[in-house]
Order: sequence, then C-alpha cells, then structure tokens
Amino acid sequence: MNRIFLFLCLCVLVFSHPLAAQDSSLRLPAFSKFQLRNGMTVLLLEQHEVPIISFSMVLKAGSTSDPQSKEGLASLTADLLRKGTRTRNSDQISSDLDFIGGEFDMGVSTDFTTGSAEFLKKDIRQGLDLIADIILNPVFPQEEVTKRIRQRIDEIKSAKDRADSVIGRYFLAYLYGKHPYGRPVDGDEVSLAAITRQDVERFYETNYVPANMILAAAGDFSTSEMRGLLEQRFNPWPAKNPSPVRIEEPRPAQGKRLLLIDKPDSTQTYFYIGNVGITRMNPDRVAIGVVNTLFGGRFTSKLNTALRVDSGLTYGARSSFDQRRMAGPFTIATYTRNATTEKAMDMALEVLANLHEKGITAEELASAKAYLKGQFPTSIETSSQLASTIARLEFYGLDENDINSYYSKIDAMTMADARRIIQQYFPKDNLVFVLIGKAGEIQSLAKKYAPTVDTKPITQPGF
Amino acid sequence: MKRLTLLLAGMAIAAATATAQDYGIKTHQLKNGMKILVQEDHSIPNVALYIFYRIGSRNERPGTTGLSHFFEHMMFNGAKKYGPKKFDETMEAAGGSNNAYTSNDVTVYQDWFPRSALETIFDLEADRIQNLNFDEKMIESERGVVASERRISVDASNIGLLYEQLAATAYTAHPYQWPVVGWMVDIENWTMEDLKHHFDIGYSPANATMVVTGDITLDEIVKLAQKYIEPIPSRGLPPKVTTREPEQLGERRVVVRKFAQLPIVMMGYHVPEAANSDYYPLQVLRTILFEGESSRMYQRLVDKDQLAISINGDYTPAFDPTLFEITARPKEGVQPDAVEKAIYEEVERLKTGQVSDRELEKAKNILLADFYRRMKTINGKANALGRYEVFFGDYRKMFTAADDYSRVTKEDLQRIAKKYFTDKNRTVATLIPEKGETRQ
Repeated sequence: MNRIFLFLCLCVLVFSHPLAAQDSSLRLPAFSKFQLRNGMTVLLLEQHEVPIISFSMVLKAGSTSDPQSKEGLASLTADLLRKGTRTRNSDQISSDLDFIGGEFDMGVSTDFTTGSAEFLKKDIRQGLDLIADIILNPVFPQEEVTKRIRQRIDEIKSAKDRADSVIGRYFLAYLYGKHPYGRPVDGDEVSLAAITRQDVERFYETNYVPANMILAAAGDFSTSEMRGLLEQRFNPWPAKNPSPVRIEEPRPAQGKRLLLIDKPDSTQTYFYIGNVGITRMNPDRVAIGVVNTLFGGRFTSKLNTALRVDSGLTYGARSSFDQRRMAGPFTIATYTRNATTEKAMDMALEVLANLHEKGITAEELASAKAYLKGQFPTSIETSSQLASTIARLEFYGLDENDINSYYSKIDAMTMADARRIIQQYFPKDNLVFVLIGKAGEIQSLAKKYAPTVDTKPITQPGF
Repeated sequence: MKRLTLLLAGMAIAAATATAQDYGIKTHQLKNGMKILVQEDHSIPNVALYIFYRIGSRNERPGTTGLSHFFEHMMFNGAKKYGPKKFDETMEAAGGSNNAYTSNDVTVYQDWFPRSALETIFDLEADRIQNLNFDEKMIESERGVVASERRISVDASNIGLLYEQLAATAYTAHPYQWPVVGWMVDIENWTMEDLKHHFDIGYSPANATMVVTGDITLDEIVKLAQKYIEPIPSRGLPPKVTTREPEQLGERRVVVRKFAQLPIVMMGYHVPEAANSDYYPLQVLRTILFEGESSRMYQRLVDKDQLAISINGDYTPAFDPTLFEITARPKEGVQPDAVEKAIYEEVERLKTGQVSDRELEKAKNILLADFYRRMKTINGKANALGRYEVFFGDYRKMFTAADDYSRVTKEDLQRIAKKYFTDKNRTVATLIPEKGETRQ
C-alpha cells in the first residue's frame, strides 16, 4: 500500500512540480559590493523587470544612540533631513521629488536609521541628485525643527486614540525597562519637547558619517553605470570616525509582572504577553521561525486556531520573534471584547503551556516547512525588497549565504530540533503582560496573572 | 491578519496610467460564464490567483447589512471535500497562503502559492464555490470573529467610526450608506437562510472573474479550469441594484462626541462611478490636492498654516456614484472649523484659478510611477488587472489609462471642481473629543 501511495505522489510531483528541483536551491540574484574611499559601503543588484530603481540605506545609528531624556532624536533627525539643504528649501525638495513621481522615506529602529527611495529609470539622475543632497547637505532650519516637534507630539496623542497602534510601545518600555530597547524609538510627549535644533545638528554630525552608511541599489540599471553615478555624488562626503554606542545584552525578565493601561472607551482589551527573545544572528533563527509558524505565525497556527477559529474570541491571535542586533522581544498578541478578556488570556497561556507539554507533530513540522518555503520567494520579489534585504544583511555582518541556505536549513530541521527550540526559546513561567483596555471592567482580574501589577491612564505622557 | 476587510478606501487602486505597452494578458471564457485573465511572469516560482465576485454590501438590505463580508469569512469554513479548517490547513501545507476582502461592490478571494500547489488550489476553490457547507456551529464562532473585527475597525478606530457616520449621512437612498462590515445589531442577527440566499444570488461562476499571474501558462490554467471550474453550473446573476442616490440639495453635517485626544474632520462630495468620463480628471485633481508633501492641501494645512497633522483625499473606483472623501486630523488646540475653512479655500482656488503646467505634469508623473509600482509584484498585477476588468469593464483600460490622463486639461479641472465641489453637494462629519474619566 505504501509503495503505491508513494508512487502516486511522485506522479503528481513530476506532473506539477517542474521547478521543485530548484526549490531547495533558491538563491539571491548576484550583487556586487564595494567601498568608497571615504568608507561608505555600496551594494548593487541588477533586476530588469520593470523600469524602476530602488535604494535602501542603512545608517548604523538608531534610537539607542539617543541621549538620555532626548528620546526620539534619531527619528526626528531622519525626518528633518528633507526639510532643507544648502541649496533647496523644504518646498523645493518636496516639489522636485513629487515631480518625478519619486518616493523617499526615512525610518528609525532601535539599531539603525533606514532610508528608502525609488525612481523611474528615466529620472535616475535627478533622483540621485536629490537623495545625495538630502543626506549630505541638510541644514535643519529652526522653524522646520519647531514645526516637526509639534507635529510629532500631536501624532503620539493621535496614536494613543488607537490601542493597537501603541500597545507595542508600552510593551517594549515595560519589558526592557531601563535597557535602551525600552526607550521609545519615536520619543514621547515629554522627551520630544526637550529636543533643540542643536541636538539635531549634533546627532547628524556624529552619526551621519560615510563609515556608518550602507547604500544598496536594486533595479533596472547597469552596475558600472550606477557605480559611476554614486561615486560622483558620494565620494565628496568627507571621511570621519564613527562613534558607535555600546549597549549591554538585555536580560530576560524573571517572574511575572503586568501593566494595565486604562483607555476608558475600549470595547475590547488588547494584550501582549512575552519576554526577551532572540537576535537576528541567532544560529537557530530558521528553526525558531518554523516552530513559531506553528505556534502563532500563520492562520492555522495553534494560537489563531484556539482564539479565533475554534472559539470566535478574536479577529486574530499571533506570536512573533522580533529579531534585532541584540535580543528583541518575543510576543503573543491578540484582543478580545472586555467580557472575554480573562477567557482569552487563559486560553493564550494554555496554548503556550501545551506547546511545552505536547510539542509539535511530524505532520505539522512538514506543513510549516512547506509553508515557509512556499511563501519566501515573495519576500525577495521586488527591487525594493531586494535592496532592503542586502542592505540589512550587510548591517548584521551576514551575507547572501543567509538567504541561499534558507531552504536547506529548513529541510534539515528535525523533530528533535523542534523539541530543543521550544525548551530553549519559548518562555514558560517568566512572562511580562501589557493590557490596554477599560480598567473599570478588567482591573480586578489583573492580579490573577502576576504578583506585580502596575496601572496608568493612556492620557499620561510617555509609555 | 487575513480576511482583512478594507472598510475605508484603503484598497484604492488610486489612479493608474500606463504606456501603451502590451503586458501580454491572455483571456479565456469558460462555458459556465466565468472569464479568466492570465499573465505569465516567471521571475519567482510563485503564483497569485484572485477571484473577483461582483457582489458586495451594495447588494444587501437593511437588517442584513454586512452579510457579504460575513459570507466571505464563511467561504473558509468548510465545503464537501475539504471540511471545516481543511481549506486553510491544506493550502498552508502546500506552501500557500490566502486572504480575501469585501467592499461595497465586490468580494475578492486571493491565493498566493508556489506553482507546485497549483492543482491543489483549483481543487480547493472549486470545492467551496460548488459545495460550501453551512454549519451552524461555524456560523456562531465566525459571528464572534466578525464582531471582533468590527470592534477593532470601528469602535477602536476614530477614523473608522467617523467614516461610518459620514456615509450614513451622505446617502439617503443608496446602499453605500451602510458599512461593509455591517451594523453590530445585524452582525448579531444573520441567519443561515440569509447566508444561503447570498450564495444563490452572488456566487454563480458567471458573476466571477478569475485572474492568475505568475509562474504559469495560459494552457495549464485553462486545462485546470476546465477540469475543476467549468463543470460548475451557472446560475442567475444578482438582482440589479436600481437605486440611485437623489441629488443632494444642501450641506449635511454630523457630529460624533467621544473619548479621544484629538478631533477629526471628514467630508464627502458626491462624485460619479468609475465608468464615468469624469473619473480621470477627478483623479488628477485628487493628485494635485493630496499626493505628496508638495500637494496643495499638505502645503497649506500641514506645512504652512500648521492646522493639521495630516490630510488625505480618497476617490476609489465604484460601480455606482460614490464619495470623494477628505480626512484631516487637526492639531491639538486647533478648532475643526479652522481646518474646514482652509480646505474650502483650497477647493475654491481650483475653481477660480488655473493649475500650473508643472502641477498638471507632476500629477501625471505621479500617476505613472504609481502604475509601475503596482506592477512590481505578481499580487499587484493580479489585483490591478481584476479591478480594471470589473470596475472599468475591460482590463485593457489599464493600459490606455495613460492616454485618458494625458487628455485631462486645466479647463477640465476647473469644470469638475465647480461641478462637484459645492457646498450643497457636501457632507461634513466631525469627531469632537470628550475627556472621559480615567482611573489612576
């Protein structure tokens, strides 16, 4: 019987899998890497599908470089780059960018500042002139600094009108405490108000140096021509020694504690449960990804099946390992109506306990492997995804092997690996809880989950 | 998460323009009436398969609002061959993932998978189109899921909440007046019979268009469709929606007071459906007013006068006359009426003065770049092709849109500004914060 079954399977495979043989050798397209004489790193990847060229910058300074009580400085600096250069004011920059249908965005995380830009091939020279000007020659006009700080403070207030847009910030602050990963990346109502134009200028002078800069381009260009275009514009940037910040490895929380944020108009409770997780360089990250796919990483995951599919308690429940230079958070996240808060929290904890007790089945393992392999190509499909992927690999000190070995690492994972991963990386008894909801209805159950309970109103500045 | 209903205009395939480039679209019509569009793209070993059903909240009635969206959820809850949970389990084990969305006009099912899963996907789709199972227990569980979705997209989102009030006020007759997710009381009261009726009127193969893009060929898609989809008999089409919204004869206003830190101002002007020739100048006008930091509204309200932290304009393709929506978030301490006044002044400026050549050209460039960006992924291609076919009547409109936009003149912009952006044609919704009691 078995043989017949296998034989039939093979027939199907041969008929409908002509590319299966290639599946285990999915590779990043080739790209070249070089350094400018001032120390800036450049990565170039040709992809000629559509007449678009994408850029991804990674600058090795993020919110962990913010001075104490000036949280949000890295983020504000990144924002203000486009608000005026030596030769263009803010209006001209916007107008020049929009005129060619270009895109330009800056962002900041704990570890780095990112920039992304995209232009039609025909506009590449104007596009590059513009980004080089923005990166090399910003002047940070006082009135733009003042304006942007006011807008940022209002944006934080507006974000607090939506629990799901701020719960992550409260969770990081409560989980990491005084560790730099606990400080708000975009600042808060108080820290932003303390930032001056001089702070912004100093942050720029210290951190925006060629040796900190990785610039990746992907899209419809020839490598030799793009190299020339970039050298022309970025070679004049003077070399300078970077001043990296040293931060300690964060320690996982011991025991249990809970923070309740009161948002009196809530009809649902939003909650995160988790602890400190893993770094991007963790040698087990692929196997951890496989187990997390089954635990809370896809629609049929154990968490979503229990909390959504089987019980209708929520629209969605998930878990994730956020991977950074240092260990990022592991989180279980979901929401449910006020009256079912306790039921949903108990259920989430039960699913976690079951993972430790029962583990996963061989069938589940095979399904998760197929799922991750089947979905992965769409994450390196576009020029912007490719540029961002190779720039980040460079930042983490990794190379294309990280991607090119992805399928074989998935294939190699065993049930024994899964058992070890669960024990080693999924928290069990040490858990941090953050809830946003209507305290009047849910406060009494908080102490059931942790001996330490903290509460504050959502209107209180900070996170 | 999946099955995310795009209740606002988040699904806007804003405006699209294209060169006359031929993207190699092939079509096939099945005997049961379903049309198939195929675009080969072998850049990654993956496939996107979208099925557009021409049925949405516009086909509903008071008492069962939100039914199309609820039905969309039920399409994942088990059929004959693949019982409860099996649709997702089978698809994910084959390396695929899925989502779906419902709007006023359409319900769209999206599958993304490695080409090795192609036949499995056809088997799964055919099973649920033909033999969907209505299980009482699954209905009750899914009712809770949808209620939770409504709480996150309306109760917990001031913009979602205000939009619902705007639409309910701007329309008096047309079904666009109720929310796609449905009123909570309707969510609580749908019956099995309602679901079965919805299936009967909306899910005939002739009411659907399938779009497949990626690492496939037309021949293999046609073969699989003939095997799995063609045997499904055609039934009738949904009853025609004949209601037209009467002309609005004066400004309407609605106010929402609730716990919040910042106010919101939203307004809607009645504008035509996607198939109307004013669609193109209206999209150019929207781009000039709202796209990018150099746009007129951003410059005026966010940058110069510093009245708002953000301002957006949306105009989404629709089957019937719809709303051009403007949303502004006033800064702390700024009265909503100051924001309103500035918006009206910018609108008046379009009526009395002409836009510059550079502004017009910029808008056309932005629309062109947007078009290419959507073409970067097989998913983007599948969605865009399907939306042109369904909303504009022909996928080829996607490739001629460049010409349609290039014909838009400064005079057109002035004409449509005068025609649609009048006080009488306007509905304004404002959210006023109430500082509630918070416990310490």
